[in-house]
Amino acid sequence: MTNGEHIREEALELLAVGGLPDGDSAAIQAHVSECHECASRLAESRGGAALLAFATKPETPAGTIKAELLARIRASREREEHFAWPLRPKTISGSEVAEYVTSRKTGNWLKWILVPAAVALALVSLALSWQNRRVSQALAKQRQATQALLSEREGTNKLVGLLAAGDTVTVKLAPASETIGSGVVKYNGRMGMVVYSAQLPAAPAGKSYQMWLVPVSGTPINAGVMEKGAHALGSVWIAEVPVNTEARAFAVTLEPAGGMPQPTGPKVLVGAS
Amino acid sequence: MATASASGETTSDWSLLTRIVQKDEEALSALYDRYNALVFSTAKRILQRTGEAEEILQDVFYQIWENAERFDPERGSLAGWLLVAARNRAISKLRGRREWTGGLDENGVSLRVDIEARAAQNLLLDKVRSVVNSLPEGEREALECAYFEGMSHAEIAQKTGQPLGTVKTRIRSAMLTLKKVLT
Repeated sequence: MTNGEHIREEALELLAVGGLPDGDSAAIQAHVSECHECASRLAESRGGAALLAFATKPETPAGTIKAELLARIRASREREEHFAWPLRPKTISGSEVAEYVTSRKTGNWLKWILVPAAVALALVSLALSWQNRRVSQALAKQRQATQALLSEREGTNKLVGLLAAGDTVTVKLAPASETIGSGVVKYNGRMGMVVYSAQLPAAPAGKSYQMWLVPVSGTPINAGVMEKGAHALGSVWIAEVPVNTEARAFAVTLEPAGGMPQPTGPKVLVGAS
Repeated sequence: MATASASGETTSDWSLLTRIVQKDEEALSALYDRYNALVFSTAKRILQRTGEAEEILQDVFYQIWENAERFDPERGSLAGWLLVAARNRAISKLRGRREWTGGLDENGVSLRVDIEARAAQNLLLDKVRSVVNSLPEGEREALECAYFEGMSHAEIAQKTGQPLGTVKTRIRSAMLTLKKVLT
């Protein structure tokens, strides 16, 4: 699929037209999200495929669709305005403040100086506090986004390395017993890394699908729970296992939510290495 | 119908998009007039049902309205995005998959031809039809099964009785021919 550090042209074209297995598509998408050159080449291929729209029989939608669309966007705008107005801060003009101050009966001339000063000080303090809170929130968000990007980049680099390696093996997973679904595993023992993707029905409530590497000798090795999380890259999961483990098979079992240290539930998918 | 200025020049997609960002309904209306037939034809070709195709047509333009500011013209053309978005949504519906959630800020589509004017669309329509009709039967079938029916390569191989490798080669060959229209 890769040509050194970039995705090969034929893989990008096949992705643009559709029909690639989900695992391959996800792997290419993951690389493309990091690689400007491949993203640009994929956009070209998508443009070629999009031309097929011109090969279809010309059809005209009902005239009412446009009116419905415009009604929908107007309703959306009205909703936004309705929910937005209570959040708008009330603006107090200088004349309003002055009017407030002068309306107060004062027996002491000092109030003419102290009251405006206190009001101004309070406003400045309030503004600074608000600004400080906004900056802190923005910084926290930025830190989170940076961490997420770094984590995703690391995962993508690992994925591309594994896919480009000549000694990576592919294992197709087939349904076990009466279950339905399919999957594919890419395994590199030298790198101690497993990448996999599966098409399965949603796990029942309180349950999770869990991937296992079944070694030639010894007990199954946990290769991760198939949930959205740190080791997921889109719909592809990446797991590290002990290096140089000779795999006899891979299996997916249904386990209690969060996974188990050893398989306890029924096998859902299996594939011999 | 293409939006034309008093001088007869067509308003660019980019210009319409800029106005849509500012919530200009007339700009969305003009964009809809320009591309609704292409978007609808694509969805209808895939789904074969008028009601579902119209639903996708409306959703695609609604997404433009809601997220226009996220569209990056550097990453592709708006017309290309509309066509691919319609195709992906229709395929998701056809295959009973979860709703397609691709956004405006991803999945760039580079369409190196100008189709902002109706005349340009008609010209391209003739060219693409001619190219697709000239494809060998096996190539056209594989290409259409993948793009319009959302079939996997394995499913196409099973349907046509051809090896998987042959299916991929045919699709690639058809794509190379099709892309020549853009050069």
